[in-house]
Amino acid sequence: MSDRMGGDVDGIQIKLWRWASSNAIWVVLALLFIVAALLSDAFLRPVYIFNVVRQAAPVGIAAIGVTLVMILGGVDLSVGAVISLTAVLTAVLMDGHVANIPLAVTVALATGAIIGGINGTLIAYNRVSPFILTLGMAVVVMGITQIYSGGTARGIVSPGFREFFNYRIGGIVPVLALTFLGLALVGVRLQQTTKFCRNLYLIGSNPLAAELSGLPVRKITITAYALSGLMGAMAGIALLARSGVSSTFAGRGLEFDVLAAVILGGTTFQGGRGGIGGTIAAVFVLLIAFNLVNIVGLDYNAQLIVKGAIIIIASSAYIYFKKVR
Amino acid sequence: MLLEIKGLTKRFPGVLALESVDFSAKAGEVHALVGANGAGKSTLMNLLSGVYRPTDGEIIIDGQAVQLSTPGIAVSCGVSTVYQEFSSIPQLTVAQNIFLGREPCGKSGILSHKRMYADARAILDKYHLELDEKALVENLTVANLQLVEIARALSVESRILILDEPTAVLSIPEQENLFRIIEQLKQQGMLILYVSHRMEEIFSISDRVTVLRDGKKIDTVQTADILPADIIRMMIGHDIEQSSGLSTADSGEPIFEVSFKDKRRGFTVVKGEILGVAGLVGAGRTRLARKLIGIEENNDMDILLHGEKVNPGSPQDAIQQGIVYLTENRKHDGLFANLSVLKNTTASALERFTSFGFLRQGNEKKAGTKILDRLHLVASSVDVPISTLSGGNQQKAIFGRALMCNPSVLICDEPTRGVDVGAKEEIYQLLVELAQQGVAIIFISSEMKELFAAAHRLLVLHEGDIVEDLPTSQLTEEKVLQAATGTLN
Repeated sequence: MSDRMGGDVDGIQIKLWRWASSNAIWVVLALLFIVAALLSDAFLRPVYIFNVVRQAAPVGIAAIGVTLVMILGGVDLSVGAVISLTAVLTAVLMDGHVANIPLAVTVALATGAIIGGINGTLIAYNRVSPFILTLGMAVVVMGITQIYSGGTARGIVSPGFREFFNYRIGGIVPVLALTFLGLALVGVRLQQTTKFCRNLYLIGSNPLAAELSGLPVRKITITAYALSGLMGAMAGIALLARSGVSSTFAGRGLEFDVLAAVILGGTTFQGGRGGIGGTIAAVFVLLIAFNLVNIVGLDYNAQLIVKGAIIIIASSAYIYFKKVR
Repeated sequence: MLLEIKGLTKRFPGVLALESVDFSAKAGEVHALVGANGAGKSTLMNLLSGVYRPTDGEIIIDGQAVQLSTPGIAVSCGVSTVYQEFSSIPQLTVAQNIFLGREPCGKSGILSHKRMYADARAILDKYHLELDEKALVENLTVANLQLVEIARALSVESRILILDEPTAVLSIPEQENLFRIIEQLKQQGMLILYVSHRMEEIFSISDRVTVLRDGKKIDTVQTADILPADIIRMMIGHDIEQSSGLSTADSGEPIFEVSFKDKRRGFTVVKGEILGVAGLVGAGRTRLARKLIGIEENNDMDILLHGEKVNPGSPQDAIQQGIVYLTENRKHDGLFANLSVLKNTTASALERFTSFGFLRQGNEKKAGTKILDRLHLVASSVDVPISTLSGGNQQKAIFGRALMCNPSVLICDEPTRGVDVGAKEEIYQLLVELAQQGVAIIFISSEMKELFAAAHRLLVLHEGDIVEDLPTSQLTEEKVLQAATGTLN
């Protein structure tokens, strides 16, 4: 084989391309950050940076879970609805008392995990398209949220809840930002070291081969969707902690931000590739881009255009990189 | 010369796939292109069909240098290709597929179905292809699907037809039909480039053979002047030993017994035995195997493993009980194509390297590397994606996956398909070794030669039934064929 390899120069170029293409999103993040810092020196201030991290927490946490199901070759569109439901649920169960916090959080997390588990079970046993199924689930959960809340912003957040998560350690790092970064790090680590995550990649890469190789495809599928629901619930709680106000539509549309981040981060619909690291980088790319739009002085609607454009450009760039390889 | 190639070179990043190949072929000739996997056959084929552009060198058709920069241009220069993987659209008719993208239109630009079907009929008649132009492609057999692809290639006035491993999916009568068609095309002055590594057919239909190895042309020879052993030597660069026929297995204890509830003939595999399974495509060999491991529902067989009744409900079940199946279709349900060689190898045995849900990756790598070394897998590293390996090495990795499960019964379905000659020999060797270690082996194959070379006993299937079960030494190829075609009395 060695006699057929190209020269050294060739080799280095290829290595560089490979590195750049598998870490493209980090390169984009670095470039974007430099542009942002040039446009506004706010981006060089730790307080501002960690505020961006805090802002990113709800979408980022949910995106970790959705990354798992997308590695598996699935998708979870119900995550926005789960965020809304769990945010309302937590607020209502808290009912303004500190003593209610453990119950509220536990019930919210369990609800998210159960909704995800139902998604996973239906997909694993009926081979329904995850796209259609989780879209249907999103509509159902949205309905439940409306009925449960009576269509108004019910529930009172316990005192200290919001304050705790937004407290800045050392005057700089909000607890919520730290929680998010912690979850992300744990996720990245587990993704590399656990049998569960290896199975996700194997099944996503080729579900038929996975079945023939004796992998517990159904169990893994159900677990992955349940985790996605659980992370959705955490995102709902994070959203409530960030804003401090319960709203029945809090998570509406967030599934698209989540999906955009996951795909941008390199976990494509193909399954079997990508990972949480890329997703986290992509969450920041999107957020910094929106902040930039704000700084430049454009309004929310312009943000939407930028959001869409970034997704289109990034996915084209991804295809280009793949071709070059 | 109809086709001339001078100094053709194709360099991929890091790999020189084709190195300064000179080659020529004339009209009215069947020219076989042979080489082990990775020899450059596919690259050469893709350069001729406009899928790749050459790094250097020229292609000359009928004395004119041509730039085949897209498949469309290649077709308009008279080069048509029938790939191993078919590209027909199942929901359309035969005629619609033949004229896909070139549908005959009236002056107003509206499709003329009448003309399309008439034209299709004319092509089918001209080349004696027995197909109904109005049949839906999804209802066709694999052999007929291939005829559709050929008809499509012929419908564009091709002068050069490239056939890539055309018999891989065909049964014997279907192969003969294909050879008849090739002969006819040859008579009509067409150049057929025939890519294959099946010696028998190369010798039965080709006029000349060009052998490639490691991206270089080794030689072009008249088929009549040469023996298969010479070609194999040119392909692998050294001699191979003819695998000696096997003596019958020691009549050891039965490991795996299968009987049918409706009293049809069942079978038994004894310890240390390689049981070959022959039959035509569609005889139900793969279906039998898939029922044994529970991926298809088994409700008509009783299975005894080591004397105890088992009925695996899933491959996971089967593997835990020691029954492992190696798929006939690597790409479809064997490979995790984008993942590393190591991850492909350890996929079925992760439990071994897991404590509290965490993988001990050091142990995994050690065990995986050990088994791949034993199988003589060649790769720059076990961490490269398995899709970058040759077919033979991919197959070894999948064998490694099966071996890591410590099987009592190993069912190999066409384990040498798409594997080069050298690796084939190694696979036979491996099967023999495993049998000696007491693994019961069920070896399904469509290549009669390898069944006779590597199996102690042969089952022959015909339309789902076992019609013959004899030691290899008491059988002849002729007898097996008769049984397989249902013509044995």
